[in-house]
Amino acid sequence: MESRECKIGVYICDCGTNIAKVVDCEAVREYISELPQVAIARTYKYMCSNPGQELIIQDIKEQGLERVVVAACSPRMHERTFRAALQTAGLNPYLFEMANIREQCSWVHDDPLAATEKAKALTQAAVLRVAHHEALEQMMVDMCPNTLVIGAGIAGLTAALELADAGQKVYLLDKQDHLGGNLARVDLTAPYLDSARDLLTERITRVKTNDNIELLLNSRLQELKGYVGNFSATLVSVDSDDPEENKAQKIEVGNVIVCTGYKEFPAERVTHFGYGKLPNVITSFDFEKMLRAGRIESKDGKIPKYVAIIHCVGSRSPEYHGYCSRVCCMTALKYVHEIKSAIPSCYVSDLYIDMHAFGKGHEDFYRRTSEVKTMFLMFGKGDHPIIRSAGPKDDCEMLIEVNEQLSGEVIEIPADLVILMVGMEAREDATETARLVNISQDKDGWFIESHPKLDPVATTTDGIYIAGTCVAPKDIPDTVAQARAAAGRILAKIAKGKIAVDAIYAEINEDSCSGCRICNELCPYSAIEFDDEKKRSHVLSVMCKACGACVAACPSGAIKGRHFTDQQIFAQIEGVLR
Amino acid sequence: MAIRVNPKIIDDLEGYGAEDVHLCYHCGNCSAVCPHADEFNVFPRRPMRYLQMGLERKLETSLEPWLCYYCGQCSDQCPRGAEPGETMMSLRRWLISRYDITGIARLFFKSTKVELAAVIIVALLTGIFFLGFGFWQGDINVYDGSNAFLPSSFIHNFDLALGFLVALFIGLSAFRFWWFSMGGKSAVPIPWWLYIKKVYLLPWHFFTQKRFADCEKETTRRIYLPWLAHLGLMLGYITMLFIVMVFVKQLQAGPEINWSVHVFGYLASLGLLIGAVYMLCGRLKKNRTQYQRSHGSDWIFLVLLFIIALTGVTQHILHRSGLLLAANIVYIVHLMVVVPWLLRMPFTKWAHMFLRPLGMYFSAVRNEALARQKSGIETTVQARKVA
Repeated sequence: MESRECKIGVYICDCGTNIAKVVDCEAVREYISELPQVAIARTYKYMCSNPGQELIIQDIKEQGLERVVVAACSPRMHERTFRAALQTAGLNPYLFEMANIREQCSWVHDDPLAATEKAKALTQAAVLRVAHHEALEQMMVDMCPNTLVIGAGIAGLTAALELADAGQKVYLLDKQDHLGGNLARVDLTAPYLDSARDLLTERITRVKTNDNIELLLNSRLQELKGYVGNFSATLVSVDSDDPEENKAQKIEVGNVIVCTGYKEFPAERVTHFGYGKLPNVITSFDFEKMLRAGRIESKDGKIPKYVAIIHCVGSRSPEYHGYCSRVCCMTALKYVHEIKSAIPSCYVSDLYIDMHAFGKGHEDFYRRTSEVKTMFLMFGKGDHPIIRSAGPKDDCEMLIEVNEQLSGEVIEIPADLVILMVGMEAREDATETARLVNISQDKDGWFIESHPKLDPVATTTDGIYIAGTCVAPKDIPDTVAQARAAAGRILAKIAKGKIAVDAIYAEINEDSCSGCRICNELCPYSAIEFDDEKKRSHVLSVMCKACGACVAACPSGAIKGRHFTDQQIFAQIEGVLR
Repeated sequence: MAIRVNPKIIDDLEGYGAEDVHLCYHCGNCSAVCPHADEFNVFPRRPMRYLQMGLERKLETSLEPWLCYYCGQCSDQCPRGAEPGETMMSLRRWLISRYDITGIARLFFKSTKVELAAVIIVALLTGIFFLGFGFWQGDINVYDGSNAFLPSSFIHNFDLALGFLVALFIGLSAFRFWWFSMGGKSAVPIPWWLYIKKVYLLPWHFFTQKRFADCEKETTRRIYLPWLAHLGLMLGYITMLFIVMVFVKQLQAGPEINWSVHVFGYLASLGLLIGAVYMLCGRLKKNRTQYQRSHGSDWIFLVLLFIIALTGVTQHILHRSGLLLAANIVYIVHLMVVVPWLLRMPFTKWAHMFLRPLGMYFSAVRNEALARQKSGIETTVQARKVA
């Protein structure tokens, strides 16, 4: 392959001793200096340091370098740093290549000779590749300041208010005819026992009176087209299935927050607790209803003398859901307090596998629940208590047999009312939602974040954010934090007005495209559109993540990956093999 | 077969002093730090769990509360303030009331007022009885010999009658203790000869309280003062009880000092006074974990004991000084305290003097029976494997 004539500067980093203790950096420098394109080659202790970068900038200016190669660590670590240095020196940042001689060489090899040879090959590959680099420019697109919030639970309400209070237009969408979502079904909240109704009423009043928020109740998203900053959403009413009668509403938004929440685990799936058969075995949500009605009673209207609460129903079990639903433990403790304050003489037993009291104030709450004399009983994971009806001589409705782990005894406890703590699961319509907004779900159906730790509310689709219990089970504080985080991310983007789109994306040469549409279905980011008139596909560069799937798949070779052209890759391969 | 729980038992125990047991979340620190817990007796944790769960029957048959001397290290280590030491103490009180067939113990533990009222009534009745008896047959100015206000031969017979009554109730409690823990209610079959093999432990624990001294074996202190005070008080008490029961005639005779009897009296009085004062001060100052919380019955026990020792010594001195009228009056007061104090004993904490060594003896027997059962099973399993 012919090599392009241009002046290349090569910089080999010692990385303190990280690279230099295995790779003979000086030998690499000598070898690389021999290449005809290389105008200058240097080694330095820390290339990423300010003096290191200054060295590159100075050489570009004084020697008129046209391309730069840095042989150092992974590009994930410092590619941005060196690209910025090129920009400072007045060179296009894409005329740069990094050779990874640390993670892929010095850190994983201990034979200095072989490692040095490998470092030479990697650096040479970068030199040959960079000769074929082209100057690329980032694209700027407009950012529509409107936001669509899907789901009007505590997350949706919070996000909508955050955006609207900052002066931005929000469309708040919910399938139900009222605001509040799942939280509207809850009485008090753990661990401070403040009323869920109070939490919601204040938000709902503010949402309803805020001119920036347009409420779209009884509605659902039918279609979402476009890309970050420029989405077009089609909304329809949930009441009617007739498309003629159902007037679709189209709105323009720049970003979308998905906060569609969770669904309770259906207790009837667990047969061994007799839910549906024994009248006084109820779920936590049945009990919330009782609490909100203000009367704790058994089916025949009697005040219970003994109440038993069973944790982890449908959670942390290989049969149902493997995950922990995070809120049930504290909710159970909340029930103890509510029962004890309503019926002080009532004996409450709490049957758990492990008590998860991880949050702020939770351990204190657990302690306070001990103080009101709760009978805490631990049963084994993989085991479960057995409930049966009591006999006529017993002073209770039911008897529960537990293989109690802390004492090692098999015991029988009385109960008039049994509360099953059902966990959270992904909504049935989560898959449909994920498809509409083009995000992914994990094995349990929860939406997947861009990065579980460092980017928890963004998704792999730019402009689509997720918050609250549609991501994973979580409590109110975490849900609210995520909602505010998503709103904050969007506000930051709106403040910029325009958004830069990475210059690396796929391009389709319309003259070569046969219109076979193989790439249309293949693209994981829905970034390829088919033009029905021209019968050709084209890439929506804003949505393209440059994965290269279409480039490889195109039978006509019509698709080019910018910055990953065939020429560049072949040159790189040649450099390794030479 | 599942054991039915009694969720109310934890409320019941509150009257006996176990006020914080529900706070325990079973980290096991208490049992780890306890110098007496072993593989068979995982306490205080296990009894605390039984109590929380309302396993009444398991508690009733438990020997573990009797293996504890309440050094307080468990309570010091408890991260939740669940007071395991105090719970063990309360369980001993509760067990005493369970062993007691009359129901008096339960009444006393549940209400200090009732106990105090009973003590005062018996004291007044005793006072009236001895005054009446004294004036009817003797002279208040005569202390000893013929025409004495309170003749020693009569006191001797009175003591024996009283001692018989106390022994009867203690014996009944001890039998029920055995029945619950080792006999009918116990799940472990115990060969009779093990009782004989281990019988030496009964006097050993009774007279040395060695395990109490062991409570502090981890520390660098040379002498464990609570143990010394406890032992002094107990030995003083038992010596005094013995000489009063058997040698009251020699004891009361005077004015010359009969050293062969009196020397024991003096030593016993010393033990009683020092022990009582040490414990009273401890409970007032709350200077040790085990003195932090005092049940009403603890105060009644110590205050009465102190008065008994004081009046006993005083009437002895007054008699030797020739102040016979005063000596007789103090003697009456002494008896007014001694009689209710002795009578309440089988129904209060004092019963632990006999029940604790008995518990340790039973425990040693049961542990060996368990070990034999275990190795027996192992041998059978091995034999089967070989076959």
